[in-house]
Amino acid sequence: MHLPGRKNRDSTAFAGRGMTEPALVRWFLIASALAFLALFLFVPLAAVFSQALEKGWDAYIEAIREPDALTAIKLTVVTAAIAVPLNLVFGVSAAWAIAKFKFRGKSFLITLIDLPFSVSPVISGLIYVLLFGLQGWLGPWLQEHNVKIIFAVPGIVLATIFVTFPFVARELIPLMEAQGKDEEEAATVLGASGLQTFFRVTLPNVRWGIIYGVILCNARAMGEFGAVSVVSGHIRGSTNTVPLHVEILYNEYNYAAAFAVASLLALLALVTLAVKSVAEWKMRKEA
Amino acid sequence: MSIDIRDVNKKFGTFEALRNVSLTVPSGELVALLGPSGSGKTTLLRIIAGLESPDGGKIHFSGEDATNLHVRERQVGFVFQHYALFRHLTVFDNVAFGLNVKPRKERPAKGAIREKVLELLRLVQLEQLADRYPSQLSGGQRQRVALARALAVEPKVLLLDEPFGALDAKVRLELRRWLRRLHDEIHVTSVFVTHDQEEALEVADRIVVMNEGRVEQMGTPEEVYDNPASPFVYNFLGNVNLFHGRIDGGEARIDNISIEVPDFGSGDNIPAVAYVRPYDIEIYRSRRNHEDIESVVRHIQGAGAVARLELERLDTRELIDAELTRERYRELALRVGEAVYIRPRNLRVFAGGDYQI
Amino acid sequence: MALHNKKNSVIPGFGPTLGYTIFYLSLIVLIPLSALVIKSTDLSWQQFVGAVTADRVLASYRVTFGAALMAAAANAFFGVLVAWVLVRYRFPGKRLVDALVDLPFALPTAVAGITLATVYSSNGWLGRYLEPRGIKVAFTPVGIFVAMTFIGLPFVVRTVQPVLEELESEVEEAAVCLGACRWQTFSRVLFPTLLPSVLTGFALAFARAVGEYGSVIFIAGNMPMVSEITPLLIITKLEQYDYAGATAIASVMLGASFILLFAVNLLQWWSRRYAE
Repeated sequence: MHLPGRKNRDSTAFAGRGMTEPALVRWFLIASALAFLALFLFVPLAAVFSQALEKGWDAYIEAIREPDALTAIKLTVVTAAIAVPLNLVFGVSAAWAIAKFKFRGKSFLITLIDLPFSVSPVISGLIYVLLFGLQGWLGPWLQEHNVKIIFAVPGIVLATIFVTFPFVARELIPLMEAQGKDEEEAATVLGASGLQTFFRVTLPNVRWGIIYGVILCNARAMGEFGAVSVVSGHIRGSTNTVPLHVEILYNEYNYAAAFAVASLLALLALVTLAVKSVAEWKMRKEA
Repeated sequence: MSIDIRDVNKKFGTFEALRNVSLTVPSGELVALLGPSGSGKTTLLRIIAGLESPDGGKIHFSGEDATNLHVRERQVGFVFQHYALFRHLTVFDNVAFGLNVKPRKERPAKGAIREKVLELLRLVQLEQLADRYPSQLSGGQRQRVALARALAVEPKVLLLDEPFGALDAKVRLELRRWLRRLHDEIHVTSVFVTHDQEEALEVADRIVVMNEGRVEQMGTPEEVYDNPASPFVYNFLGNVNLFHGRIDGGEARIDNISIEVPDFGSGDNIPAVAYVRPYDIEIYRSRRNHEDIESVVRHIQGAGAVARLELERLDTRELIDAELTRERYRELALRVGEAVYIRPRNLRVFAGGDYQI
Repeated sequence: MALHNKKNSVIPGFGPTLGYTIFYLSLIVLIPLSALVIKSTDLSWQQFVGAVTADRVLASYRVTFGAALMAAAANAFFGVLVAWVLVRYRFPGKRLVDALVDLPFALPTAVAGITLATVYSSNGWLGRYLEPRGIKVAFTPVGIFVAMTFIGLPFVVRTVQPVLEELESEVEEAAVCLGACRWQTFSRVLFPTLLPSVLTGFALAFARAVGEYGSVIFIAGNMPMVSEITPLLIITKLEQYDYAGATAIASVMLGASFILLFAVNLLQWWSRRYAE
């Protein structure tokens, strides 16, 4: 529900049919739209990179190679490497059940899967503190057995899984619903087993949808701030992810370093958008 | 392989898709399941394939109970209405799919698969298109790929769901003749679903007419066309005119015509309807006897091998369709507005009221 | 959820996949969320009401919901404009602009936060032109509005855009043939068709803005009673080990999210009412 709707086709076909506005109105509208986007999107995006390189290339490299920054990068990568595959398996499994079968309560189930999108990131972190924190339900038991979840890596991973929970499922459910089950039935009639049908027919058909979901899931997993901030405890060089590291540097007035590290995340965002555009184009072509 | 269907029932929620359907498909024949949409024909086909399971009843393949056999083990070929080609595979790989997914022990060698696929593509006249993807093919070509793919696993039964439904009129005509020739070549027991009576009459060895989940009639095209077993079949296969009357003591009176109908026993004053094909309406310029019905010509469509006339009865104002041979039409030299006398022949009488499709 | 479908379908895997879906959903989402609801009952009713209606908390609602409402409204207006321009007009760099609209979805909120704070600060790229004109953005409630507008920007664009694309040109041509002028065509034919998607996008942007934390805190200034958002207040309570207070406020926020989620579902149902 919260994801951007994919565009189905490029329809500039309307222009030049005598169905459009006078050129002056057209250019005024284009200019207003671009001005709005510039104010809120383009200028800030450019600013990230400009600020990052303000103190020169060497300072930029130094900020990224600094040990705390490297630990943060490592933690972020590990977190995403756990959260994304788990949500991928879930997404595929949920989409299979929802798109290929009829059952009661289906739309309710879809609403529940969407739930994490409508929960504030802060609350997403808070719920795990309430479960596993010292004052939480399982806190005393965990402490007794010397298991640390909150203010430690497991908490960060859990909170990240929560906020990225719906991404793959949201992408695959409508895609697989639209494709119907004819091809799966055809494969079965031809003697393919369930797994053969899935790997040889279903999976190739939704591969771009999976890439689309995974790349967005990954971007959010690596960039999540609020939820992770609540459960991390901000232990420098230990439980700091990249976004948290950016915050610390920024609050220490180390702006150039903060933006240098932030520019990595901005680059990730741009790569994400590029892959997403390719995936959209491929899906449109195959539809 | 013959197919025996015994007392098959199927419900979807409260909708009864099939009600006690029984029929036999003789080995090697091409059988059409013909009926309007919602008549249960596609459901029956999917039950034969094993894509749906019946709520009750049995399916036998060559005398062996196949009711609980999984679709994978039934050795059927199924051609889907919208082809269901694997869009990420080439034509070649689509046809090879059924062979490639066989367990290693049963799977033919790579070379053998290649041979087999190319042979099938030759059979459906698509060998030059082996490397194309389904999206690059026309509807008729896709249909033939779907057929080749279904045949690749050497099915004992070939099932086709509205095989020509999604094609335009010209391709439809070509393809159905081609299917008939193909069937004469390979002789695999085949069942296809259609709502197009012309298609069924032209292609099938045997037609099963279905309506509201029941089999209305089964027989050769000539049998079902010339001797419809029910008013529904009469209506569904070709145009028909209705004449109302009564049955008294084994004799039906339809207008002023009397017909012996011993089958209806000795009941009195039973409402009856007689069905008459348009080509069984005789037209005369003058009255010959009291049985003739006075009418007016309302519309004439004179082009073509037969002339089609729309007539209006003067007594009841009902419209009657008639077809005349070209010669007879010329001989009569009719014009719109002229009065004529008509006389139905070959009346087929059914008891009861009107039958509506 | 009845499992009887297994028998009716030849496609395997319904039981295991649905089972796993429900298991994982319960483990990650439902059980933790219910922890919040149950924890909030630790407080008595009076304590709960006291915690969620303290002056500072009420002020944070006003700031959060007020700014979110204005940001969503701005996005509704400009979102329709951007969607319109992207669908109907041709201009250089259009594809790039189209792809960049999704940036707020992909850019981590902390990065957005520090960048907006810098750009709109008194000597920032934009702030230095705004401040002499009396528009102070960074470290004021206006900053909150700016950050919320940023993160909500794609929602209206992406809900309206596909509807605008699907719209058949015949509808407009029919309106023109019936004598409508361009503005009448827009206001009487196009806009009513777009309205459900605009409202859906508005509600989505609003919901996202209300819960937003990362991009707002850097630019907000976080002055209690003035520019402190509710999510920050929850964190502040947590840091003071006031778990009960944090939970109480969080459950109010969660309730608001559910109401919005319900509203969005209603809107989507409403927008499908003309669908064939």
